[in-house]
Amino acid sequence: MSVRGTRVPEHLRLPIAGVTPPPTEQDGQRLFPTGNFRFFRPVYKDKTPPCNNACPTGEQIQKYLDFVKHERFLDGYLTILEDNPMPSVTGRVCYHPCETACNRKDHDEPIGIRNVERYLGDYGLQLPENPIKAELPELGDKTVAIVGSGPGGLGCAYHLRRLGYRSVIFEAMSKPGGMLRGGIPHWHLPEEILDAEIAKLLDLGGIEIRCNTRMGEDVGWDELRNYDAAFLAVGQDVGRRLSVDGADLRGVGGALEFLREAGMGRPVKAGKRVLVIGGGNTASDAARSAVRIGGGTSTIVSLESADELLIVPEDLEQARDEGIEFKPNTSVVRFLGENGVLTGAVLCEARLEKDEHGNVVPQHVPGTEYEVSCDSVLIAIGQTQVLDWLPAELMERGLVKADEYGRAQGHVFVGGDVTRGPAMVVDALGDGKRAARNIDVVLRGEGLAPPPEVEVMPYERLNTAYFKHAPRIEAPMASPAERRRDQKVEVTLAYSKEQAVAESDRCMSCGVCNGCDNCYIVCPDVSVMRDTRENGHYSIRTTYCKGCLVCVQECPTGCLEKVPEMDFDEPEAVTRMETAFAPYDGAHAEQSAFTKGLIEEAIAASDAARRQSVNGSNGHAPAGSNGSRGATS
Amino acid sequence: MAHEVVRQHLPLFDEDGRSAAVDGDAGRDLHYLPDFPEEDPYQAGHRTCAGCGPAIEYRWVLKAAGQDTVMAGPTGCMYVANSTYLCTPYTVPWAHTPIASGGSFTSGMAAGYEAMIRKGRHPGPYPNIVVMAGDGSAADIGLGSISGALYRNHDALYICYDNECYANTGIQVSPTTPYAGMTTFTPFGKAVPEGKTLPPKNLARMMAEGHPNCYVATTTVGYSVDLMNKTRKGLNHQGAAFLHCYTPCQKGWVYQTSMTIELGRRVVEAGLFPVWEYDPEERKYHYFHPPVQRPVTDYLAMQGRFGHMLPEHVASMQMAANRNWEDIGMDVPDELRELEDPERHKRLADEQYSMPLNRGVGA
Repeated sequence: MSVRGTRVPEHLRLPIAGVTPPPTEQDGQRLFPTGNFRFFRPVYKDKTPPCNNACPTGEQIQKYLDFVKHERFLDGYLTILEDNPMPSVTGRVCYHPCETACNRKDHDEPIGIRNVERYLGDYGLQLPENPIKAELPELGDKTVAIVGSGPGGLGCAYHLRRLGYRSVIFEAMSKPGGMLRGGIPHWHLPEEILDAEIAKLLDLGGIEIRCNTRMGEDVGWDELRNYDAAFLAVGQDVGRRLSVDGADLRGVGGALEFLREAGMGRPVKAGKRVLVIGGGNTASDAARSAVRIGGGTSTIVSLESADELLIVPEDLEQARDEGIEFKPNTSVVRFLGENGVLTGAVLCEARLEKDEHGNVVPQHVPGTEYEVSCDSVLIAIGQTQVLDWLPAELMERGLVKADEYGRAQGHVFVGGDVTRGPAMVVDALGDGKRAARNIDVVLRGEGLAPPPEVEVMPYERLNTAYFKHAPRIEAPMASPAERRRDQKVEVTLAYSKEQAVAESDRCMSCGVCNGCDNCYIVCPDVSVMRDTRENGHYSIRTTYCKGCLVCVQECPTGCLEKVPEMDFDEPEAVTRMETAFAPYDGAHAEQSAFTKGLIEEAIAASDAARRQSVNGSNGHAPAGSNGSRGATS
Repeated sequence: MAHEVVRQHLPLFDEDGRSAAVDGDAGRDLHYLPDFPEEDPYQAGHRTCAGCGPAIEYRWVLKAAGQDTVMAGPTGCMYVANSTYLCTPYTVPWAHTPIASGGSFTSGMAAGYEAMIRKGRHPGPYPNIVVMAGDGSAADIGLGSISGALYRNHDALYICYDNECYANTGIQVSPTTPYAGMTTFTPFGKAVPEGKTLPPKNLARMMAEGHPNCYVATTTVGYSVDLMNKTRKGLNHQGAAFLHCYTPCQKGWVYQTSMTIELGRRVVEAGLFPVWEYDPEERKYHYFHPPVQRPVTDYLAMQGRFGHMLPEHVASMQMAANRNWEDIGMDVPDELRELEDPERHKRLADEQYSMPLNRGVGA
């Protein structure tokens, strides 16, 4: 339809073909700002994925998995280092609360997060230079005393260093590492990996470890008060004793002491027929180490029944593969010996009962006693710590008392097993991180505040149509026969690069935008703009977004949410359309200046194009072209 | 001297591991879409309803086709909503044709461009010629002209965006309206409790069987990469190509605006809209086998237009779906076979079905 050659009065000047403003890629069809259809606006609100929430150190797991899936390993490694100084260690020994919490378990199987972490940690150890070293702040003049060089102490020192504080670590043993060295066998965590991680930490500068320095003997409580702040992470490395007849025979020993001697590299002996008393992870570790060192058999004697065992399932399975035997619901009556040397034990059926304090009270079944022969007994029935150097008011039931911020008193913070009993390495690392942050707060003279509430993304709010079922890639393992050969043979082996990438690719990125482009492509109104895209940052073009919420519905991760339009106070967000097509006053309303301007611009452009085309094709001035357009302004 | 007609070749997008074209476990479990072109020849500022299915389809087709495209649109809701006062949202040339003449108009465009290029009057390669007709135009009023164009094998892509009703004029029945779908011309009542009594016209199969020289495919807005790849395959095919695309209509079907894409997936998973490709070289159909098979009620219960259905109607719909599964070579699970029995159903309005996660009702 053309109106050329007709006279169109000014007040009837409609936007019609040829003179309507064409849409542009940049601005769309500006005559119709369809944003005024909208009642709800999509808004990007990242939530906390359950893995991140479950990790005591608060590792940003989704973020580094996302880097790994794009093969950006250095970025992934740096992401871990923000929260956890030793991914090579936790990548081997962590009991992975993240995988337990992983939403993918409701879909098919949880992501092998620990193995990816280990891949990144080993990648980091291969780097010639520690990548964070150049970016650390200058060291200040404040020094923090840390007691214990286990994961809690090392973690605290690391985070203090990242905040610019010096630290001095007191370690009773001859080598640093605490339970990492003295509690975790080499077949879980090779010594050279631990040494490399500690060396990397010391390389940052400002961290001093004083070995062979025992609290109460070499350093006292009062000396700690000379430092600006202190963090107590002494752990629990004293095994509980079993009070039965024959517990003093030669051949009866503590499992913890056994593991510590082995871990420190001192010569240890294990018999051919080993009984391990206890039903926890220490019992499992000791039993498995004993078959490696002694070459015989190990039997785990536990009060717990087979399904009550406190051994983590994967370790239990590995122990069974290695031929460890189990005697559940069994208790020791007494040990038998000849000439002060252990020869056997009397066992009986029993049940696990606990008193009101949670202390274990074995209930023997009378008349079920029987004898077994053995030449070695390792006792793993719990851990404690000698804390006689601490003021009594800081203690409660053998543990150190702390408030919700992990503070024992003043500038003294506490963390790790000594506050809660035996727990995971990553718990201690998390305590260390929290202590470092809190020490920073109190040293700056500010008040402690609880961490902000987080919103955790549940599986039910993901759009699972976008996630294919894909099996978890299990980490390769050494064969049981190979494992039993030597305690230096690592049980769990590493992912290859391809496996690490493929496993990371299974991450559903719960609640966090990962830039998948889905919102961008499903928008009917070209209103999700990815021009600001940087690992998932889009903007909503509010001028046109009609609020259909297709993007919110289709967001695989659930990071998009609807927010009522009335919650926004942005009068300029949408050009109101009340006047776009008012041809003259009174019909609909007055034509807005904006709309009028658009149309006038379009008319001018159309005229100019026409003039040019006439000039170009005929080579002379357009005669009478002014009149042909009807009313021109 | 005659100039050579140079055709464009559009590369296909990588499948994203969940697309309709991927059968089984092919591809990584990749949760990222491939890098689509930045350009959007179908721009913002159109007056379609919120959550419009055809608008999504228009955007994807034109994104896949690119800027060197000429398009036509017979009368239909997407003509009306997109070109009020002829203010269009297209940055590429577009022409409106009467509802019956989408095919003949496009034949003319295609023949015209070929002639102009041969005579050296159109610089550059042969453009992508696309006509997007609604189901009223493609399956009903303009069926003859599109069939003619396909038969004469004009090099263009003929798309039917199927919203299963005449939406432009206020939701009247069209040949592709499903059985029991309520429209203003097929209301339900005492005399006709199911609303529409006739089964829908199987348009794409008709086009493929009737024009074996053409590339024919079906797709839905549930599968973006698939839709864009089929668009490109159709454009790359030298000769006529026909694409039948399922596009939900929020006003006509009465569902929550946010569910457009979900419906596009569910209709396939319920077996009511088989997705396939017909390859004229091999004279063969390639069927997409969805990873999930659902009872039809999972799909029907999301839409108000089916709310009146009685047990026998639902069972009859399930039977049609089961025949579709068999047609495309998939096993019908026993639980779906049992649902062909009306005894197994209640009135659709009374029953609880697996509804998708709902993140909120939109505008």
